[in-house]
Amino acid sequence: MEPDVEVETLQQPPSLPRLYATAALTARGRSGSGPLPERALRLSDVRVDRDRLLLYQHLCGFPAGDVLPHTWPQVLGFPLQTELMARRDFPLALPGLVHLENTITVHRPLTADDVLELTVRAEHLREHPRGLLVDLVTEVTVAGEQAWHGRSTYLRKGRSHDVARPAPSPEMPAGEPAAVWRLPGDTGRRYAAVSGDVNPIHLHRLTARAMGFPRAIAHGMYSTARVLAALGPATSGPSTSRVWFRKPLLLPGTVALAVERHAGGEVVAGLTSRDGEVEHLVLDWRPIR
Amino acid sequence: MATTSQPTSLPRRAAVIGGNRIPFARANGSYAHASNQDMLTAALEGLVARHGLAGEQVGEVAAGAVLKHSRDFNLTREAVLGSSLSAHTPAYDVQQACGTGLEAAILVANKVALGQVDCGIAGGTDTASDAPIAVSEGLRETLLQLNRAKTSGQRAKALAGLRPSHVVPEIPRNVEPRTGLSMGEHMAQTAKRWGITREAQDELAAASHRNLAAAWESGFFDDLVTPFLGVTRDENLRPDSSVEKLAKLKPVFGRGEGATMTAGNSTPLTDGASVVLLGTDEWAAERGLPVLAHVVDAQTAAVDYVTGDEGLLMAPAYALPRLLERQGMTLQDFDLVEIHEAFASTVLATLAAWEDEEFCRERLGLAKPVGSLDRSRLNVHGSSLAAGHPFAATGGRIVASLSKMLSEKGPGARGLVSVCAAGGQGVMAILEAA
Repeated sequence: MEPDVEVETLQQPPSLPRLYATAALTARGRSGSGPLPERALRLSDVRVDRDRLLLYQHLCGFPAGDVLPHTWPQVLGFPLQTELMARRDFPLALPGLVHLENTITVHRPLTADDVLELTVRAEHLREHPRGLLVDLVTEVTVAGEQAWHGRSTYLRKGRSHDVARPAPSPEMPAGEPAAVWRLPGDTGRRYAAVSGDVNPIHLHRLTARAMGFPRAIAHGMYSTARVLAALGPATSGPSTSRVWFRKPLLLPGTVALAVERHAGGEVVAGLTSRDGEVEHLVLDWRPIR
Repeated sequence: MATTSQPTSLPRRAAVIGGNRIPFARANGSYAHASNQDMLTAALEGLVARHGLAGEQVGEVAAGAVLKHSRDFNLTREAVLGSSLSAHTPAYDVQQACGTGLEAAILVANKVALGQVDCGIAGGTDTASDAPIAVSEGLRETLLQLNRAKTSGQRAKALAGLRPSHVVPEIPRNVEPRTGLSMGEHMAQTAKRWGITREAQDELAAASHRNLAAAWESGFFDDLVTPFLGVTRDENLRPDSSVEKLAKLKPVFGRGEGATMTAGNSTPLTDGASVVLLGTDEWAAERGLPVLAHVVDAQTAAVDYVTGDEGLLMAPAYALPRLLERQGMTLQDFDLVEIHEAFASTVLATLAAWEDEEFCRERLGLAKPVGSLDRSRLNVHGSSLAAGHPFAATGGRIVASLSKMLSEKGPGARGLVSVCAAGGQGVMAILEAA
């Protein structure tokens, strides 16, 4: 954490429905360029809601139990991210922001008994060929010890900039699918119920259409969680994942998972449409030894 | 003279290397939303973590559940795939009612003994909360008919067979299919036949709670249990249980004056899972894992309860003499005896039968009675009345606990495990401290 950043401690997790409404009403009139607020939001003494955790584990395919899935702290940190971005001094409008990449590092296995402290800040506002990029960074500590780190990169589409594209993702794994998943039409609603992320683009055909999508689309962090769960329980241990989101996954939909295992434990996984025509995401996972 | 290569003398004795379970929870309690697969995977993962088996290929995993969804046809293999064990570990499901867990351990131990595997994991899981609910027989037949129909006329005909009554689902009941009597009602008949008193049953139940509470208190379960969903100790355990408190409960099985069986001296419906790690001494030594005990022998038996010839849960009484004869032992030779407490009266009726000269002569064909058991050797760390009884998980609980208890007694100490099961069956095994 940069020392000059002011840390504001929240008393309770912000309400996502309220934030989405605020963000929609205040979308206009934002500067569209820097600076980022020099403030971090913090939530201390976060205890795991085991019922909610079990629902999440069942929905995403993680083993039920006390080990926190690789992606779980992301769910806890997301309301803080949204709060930061919905505030007046955040330069970019939240509606229409595209989740482009996400990197997570699990420094040590987390369990349901751990009492977490989450700190979220925005950093690294930069130009992109299709607009502007910003990183929302989530840090999780347990008793002062760094335990988990997440970096979500969002794209604000806008004026094109004459800058190099960010480093490309790994190649989409080729070959026969390791698994085929049929995702029903209510997938977005079910994930929203557990994660609290009630962004209308995920909930229903009609609300998604209002936001410019033909149908509801799956949450990126849902697809990511499903892929990590499919890679096995090792992903909950010390490891790093990086996911690059490509095209939205329209619901209902049938998707194919391809997995490529490399020496040293590195795994590259890809999620595409059943016929392989539409690429949804590429994910790289590697253990920390 | 040994010209052919016979590396080890077979059969060899299978070693019990360790065990793990999740705390048992009362039905519709803390594990209400956990599935059999969730619980079995959790028990397995705890065992894997404690014995450093992550990524290891184990010879086989055999486990089962008594109440099982049809989607769980490959329950154990699915649990293995969800665990940190190597995906190259084969697995299969076993089902012998409440004998499942012990039978699974015997199966794996036999494969170890025959040299077919060097190590294996046996276990069981059951949930009375997340129980399968079937559609009624009428609806099932209609739906199958509909599925077979090729023309719209056939489909219409199939649907015409629907009746309002078909909508009522079938919830699994703890009832013997051939007699329509619940296990408790069967046991009440046996308890009456053997004159098992209410006081004796309540005393046994209170002792079970007292002993299990003491075992938890002493840290006995520290390396045998992994917490699950926030539960760190068996939920059914009542450390303050007493004969006085138990005496206040109303009988729930049996009728009228002679009814003695209450919710306090019968096991409650429970959710949980357990696993046991078995292997050869060499396999354990290579990994630096101490051996707790060896599986010496095992025996199953079954009785004709359908015609009323024998009590539903009396089969273990018949298994014992066959074991004793084969091993040249007497009941009194065992340092520790674990008799699964399906009901307090099950244990007491079994002990009474072994003391009864006529029963032993007429039924077991013995010249003299098996004799009485020193009760200080019975279920010394408590049993199912206190811990609860997630059907298929009980065998693994007992094998792991007894192995550790024997190991604490010292080399050569012998223990007997007895588990009665639905369908008039019984499973027994002898363990010996390493």
